[in-house]
Amino acid sequence: MTDVVRLESLSRTYDGGVTALDGVTAAFPAGSFTAVMGPSGSGKSTLLQCAAGLDRPTSGRVFIDGAELTATKDTAMTKFRRTRVGFVFQDYNLLPSLTVAQNVVLPLRLAGRRADRRRVRMVLGQLGLGDRTDELPERLSGGQRQRVAVARALVAEPAVVFADEPTGALDLRSARQVLTLLRSVVHEHGRTVVMVTHDPVAAAYADAVLFLADGRLAGSLRAPTADAVAERLAHLGDRVGVAA
Amino acid sequence: MIAVAWRNVRHRPGGFVATFLSAFLGAALLMAFASLLDTASDVDETSGESLSTTGSVGDGWCLIIVAFAVTSTLTLAVRQREQQIALLRSVGATGPQLRRMIVGEAVVVALVASAVAVPVGWLLGRVLVDLLRDTGQVASTVDARFGPIALTVGFGVTVLGSLVAGVATSRRTAAHGPRRQRPWRRRIVAGLFLLTGANCAVLTATLMDGKGIDAMQTAGQAGIWASIGLALLAPELLRLVTAVLLPVVRLFGAPGELALREPRLASAVMPVLIFTGIATGTVYMQGIEDRAARGQIPSGYAQDIKTLNYVVVGMITVFVAIMLVNTLIAATAHRRREFAQQRLAGATRGQVLGMVALEGVLITVTGVLGGLAASMFTILPFGSARAGRVWPEASPLAFGIVAVIAAGLTAAALVQTARRTVRGPATAAAHA
Repeated sequence: MTDVVRLESLSRTYDGGVTALDGVTAAFPAGSFTAVMGPSGSGKSTLLQCAAGLDRPTSGRVFIDGAELTATKDTAMTKFRRTRVGFVFQDYNLLPSLTVAQNVVLPLRLAGRRADRRRVRMVLGQLGLGDRTDELPERLSGGQRQRVAVARALVAEPAVVFADEPTGALDLRSARQVLTLLRSVVHEHGRTVVMVTHDPVAAAYADAVLFLADGRLAGSLRAPTADAVAERLAHLGDRVGVAA
Repeated sequence: MIAVAWRNVRHRPGGFVATFLSAFLGAALLMAFASLLDTASDVDETSGESLSTTGSVGDGWCLIIVAFAVTSTLTLAVRQREQQIALLRSVGATGPQLRRMIVGEAVVVALVASAVAVPVGWLLGRVLVDLLRDTGQVASTVDARFGPIALTVGFGVTVLGSLVAGVATSRRTAAHGPRRQRPWRRRIVAGLFLLTGANCAVLTATLMDGKGIDAMQTAGQAGIWASIGLALLAPELLRLVTAVLLPVVRLFGAPGELALREPRLASAVMPVLIFTGIATGTVYMQGIEDRAARGQIPSGYAQDIKTLNYVVVGMITVFVAIMLVNTLIAATAHRRREFAQQRLAGATRGQVLGMVALEGVLITVTGVLGGLAASMFTILPFGSARAGRVWPEASPLAFGIVAVIAAGLTAAALVQTARRTVRGPATAAAHA
């Protein structure tokens, strides 16, 4: 399997000397669903943002779909992201003034591409939102909004979809729907998804879990179960303590 | 709560800059005009009359503008702090306490602004007297004075105006729950303003016909009422202009589509419309008067009025510039999150700024056309009453200049604030 995302000794230091990422090397193969886990401040969100071209690493390299992210200017980074990366946020980040359908096609329109409205309606129909396409996001439940956000992330057919705590603001049932959706995106449509979460149950939906602690890799787990993930998380501190 | 108010002003003076500037300029102008009344107390009769007319008419103008500008800047200053007010409420502040805090802030700012305005008002008063002396409207022996009337009017009107504005603002913001939208109430009030304007216009064309320069009073008022009335209808006018310009804006692709979707622009239309309406009306009214009085030796009274008209246009320009910048800064800062979300969805900074620029076009076109319509309430009846012809024989150049100033102010304020808002990474701003 080829790697869709490759990170080489990625480091990110913030002004003021806080090191969020400290030399992380990782690869995410095509058609995989990976969860990135770790305690607060472990650098998992920074990892995702650096990998997605939303943040610039202090050092290290990011390859997406074989192309290196070398852009440093905001505009160039945006254009790089448009064609290769979809992103799902914890708080949806749907535009309140646009309807569901308009939100979904926005990335295409911004890239100056024509949106196939029939296909958008079909996709939204598959997500159980067929009758809500002309509603504003404020009229939707959290789970529905997040499904719209997933549809938006997929509309440009990106090489990889990054999701940052996509179920963090959802109730259990909506969370399950969104996670099942992300899983089917990978297993039925062959996409690649990388998801940051702190919830072992959410992580168990993924094919593999990558653990981070204090900005460094702290092991991985294949075919995770919620219990196994929780167990590993509980002992992350011990391992880091031993390594240090 | 007064203590909290005082600490707020000291801790974040930046939040009160616009309110302070409006109150300061207002107080300075009020004092300058009122000092003419001080000067008038001890001079010959003709000079005294000239000074009194200029002083009281000027002060009347300032009163309207101060009230309007302070209210609008204060409302925005408070709205920008919704979070702080929610926080105070959550730790146990009651509605009346919050109201006292907001009113207290307004009064503190007004007092400081009036005190700082004293030397400026004194200087401006001297300049006005010099101006009147140079144009021969008062005797050359008259010396400018700055006394109790100037101080009383300056402090009194500014502090009282701010107090009233503070009470009005606090009633709206300190009420529990989200603000209810009441478009019908707004439309009815707009209708009343427009009716009053139409009434003044009809009076000008009928009752004031042949009364010469005195027709200016009702004609000027007609334009002001109509400008405020139309400004209150800004959301409706904006929708109309947007519908007409739809195909043009669409040509700009995604930024155009986003610009068409933004409902928050109406508050920016108001100052543009009022500026264009009053400035255009006043300048053309004076133009008609100049042509009608051609060949006659202008009386001192006509001279006073002419000076005043241009001072008024200048003042309105300054005030509107402050209001416009203030409105746009507040509205744009509010949109920090929205801009960030657009960028996270794949918009470049250039596309966001393009959208803002197109919004600016919609604001300017609506404001300038609405203002032109409002100015007709002044120009047409005054032309009919003073010159016997409804449509003035004037070049559109003056209106062009007014429109260019309006467009320039809007563009500068809008793009400058938007550019600052999209600085920095989008990920941080999306959570703000």
